[in-house]
Amino acid sequence: MTWRQTKDAPFYVGYLNAVPKQLVAFLVVFSVSFAGGLGIAALALSSTQNDPGDGGFQWGNRFENAGIMELRPYPVLRVPADGETPARTYMLAGQGKRGAFNQAETHENGSVTLRGVPVKRGDLTMIQVGRVEALEEGVAGFTPADPVPLGRWKLTGEICDGKCYAGAMRPGQGLAHKACADLCLTGGIPPVFVSSGPVENRNFFLMADKDGNLLGDEINSLLALYVELEGDVERLDDLMVFKVDLATARVLK
Amino acid sequence: MSVQYTPVIWNRNKIFYDAVLLIAVALYLYIYIRVAPGYEDVTKPIDGAILRMRAFGSCAFLMLTIILCIGPLARLDRRFLPLLYNRRHFGVMTAGIAAVHANYVLTWYFNFSPVDRYVALLSSNTSYGQILGFPFEALGIAALLILFVLAATSHDFWLSFLGAPIWKALHMFIYAAYVCVVLHVALGALQGAGDPIFTSIVAACVVLVSGLHFATGRMEARRDRGEETAKASLQEKGWLVAGEIDEIDDDCAKVVTLSDDERVAIFKYEGKLSAITNACAHQNGPLGEGKVLWGCITCPWHGYQYNLTDGRAPAPFTEKISTYRLKLIGSTILLDPNALPPGTHVDPVIIGEAA
Repeated sequence: MTWRQTKDAPFYVGYLNAVPKQLVAFLVVFSVSFAGGLGIAALALSSTQNDPGDGGFQWGNRFENAGIMELRPYPVLRVPADGETPARTYMLAGQGKRGAFNQAETHENGSVTLRGVPVKRGDLTMIQVGRVEALEEGVAGFTPADPVPLGRWKLTGEICDGKCYAGAMRPGQGLAHKACADLCLTGGIPPVFVSSGPVENRNFFLMADKDGNLLGDEINSLLALYVELEGDVERLDDLMVFKVDLATARVLK
Repeated sequence: MSVQYTPVIWNRNKIFYDAVLLIAVALYLYIYIRVAPGYEDVTKPIDGAILRMRAFGSCAFLMLTIILCIGPLARLDRRFLPLLYNRRHFGVMTAGIAAVHANYVLTWYFNFSPVDRYVALLSSNTSYGQILGFPFEALGIAALLILFVLAATSHDFWLSFLGAPIWKALHMFIYAAYVCVVLHVALGALQGAGDPIFTSIVAACVVLVSGLHFATGRMEARRDRGEETAKASLQEKGWLVAGEIDEIDDDCAKVVTLSDDERVAIFKYEGKLSAITNACAHQNGPLGEGKVLWGCITCPWHGYQYNLTDGRAPAPFTEKISTYRLKLIGSTILLDPNALPPGTHVDPVIIGEAA
């Protein structure tokens, strides 16, 4: 069949209900192939999506702990050792794409009881803060440890927002998620560096600038890309903090 | 054809067309959202909103790809012409599916924030100076706006109101929309962790659309070269040799190319010859690839009809197109290349009464 209309070739006119017989079989085969092709494409595209990881909200494992609120420089809760469990430091976030700065500033360096929902991916835990109550009597005998410097490191990986990466969204990383991550960080969610190589067996790091202060819009152009960063790493209980020198930042891909 | 504007003039073929479309789209979405996740190799399921966002987004991309293939396929092979007949419903449905995708993006990635979601959409990523990390959402917005405008102006009212040339030019923006969509996907979803199937399907779609348009362009150019029979006649000054009577089937036409934008269709019917412009007044459909039905030239795209001798649509319709004068010397057809005003009556040339 070609483009040319000949005397004997079927001629289709849409508003005439009778379709030429020679075209009926072709159109039926095409219709079935069209619907079937879309179905196969759906199966192929959907079933081969990348694994978003094991992160997620731990709704059945509510968080409730007493500890000390600090800004390092993002809100964290320092929790004392308990039996065989060593002291821990939890990153904090608010509801939705909001940080927990209001609560942390109100109770900075104060003892509190914090209730919330953990968002957990591997050994990265972010607490979505629910209720914070001051503990007037303090946490008995607890003085948070000073950060332990681990030296200067050059790391490659991705800057994510700590809450989505932890599992608030699955997937919660990559360029398709960049605008969301940007919005989360603007809202006060702590930025997390997900490294391709570990430091003391940890692959994620709470980020701060090289002087330990909050990061601003200067990380926006690096967000969600595969980058190389250099800076000082320190350990705060079980939480790694990466004080990045953004002047050394390099986009790898 | 209709003399009054109604939202949709339904007929059995349109209903069948839309039914096949709806079934195919529903099947795609059902398999993507309900069936395929059972075969995913994931530790924990992908978020439902993101899954649906991907399902509707990829569906809109595939639909747009198919829409852009229909035109060249129908040029290459007449059997695909029925797909062209109701293509505007395909386009409107695609705009709807794309809008659902956008709504999921807006109510998921740009929600749960103190910033208004529309403000967040436009302001959260402004790295327009870089390729990797480019705010690909802006490309999606541009494509969606184009699809909305095209869907809103797809009705024949707008075709009549704007006139065929402006309407046609406006609807050529579908290509701009496709470029935006391809870049939207390439700079967004394709930048995730390697997914060879997704990458292959997107690449295959782009190659298919480009390849079909290239092949059609070559075919048209070859046809134009083959039809350049309209050369200055030695016998009759001012007339062009258009071909031989035997080249034309009964009730069919031969198309003669006068210039890049002017073609003439010479029809043979009931022992007579008449010439009219090749462009249908409706959507510039190729009348010369149509047929004479009930004594009228019938466009192969949407069935618009014109009288053979004056280029006027039969009453009560009002469309009219240019006619041309013909002359017959022996079995050779001569054509006066000067188009007459649309609707001008020209007596047909009677075969057998040649000079």
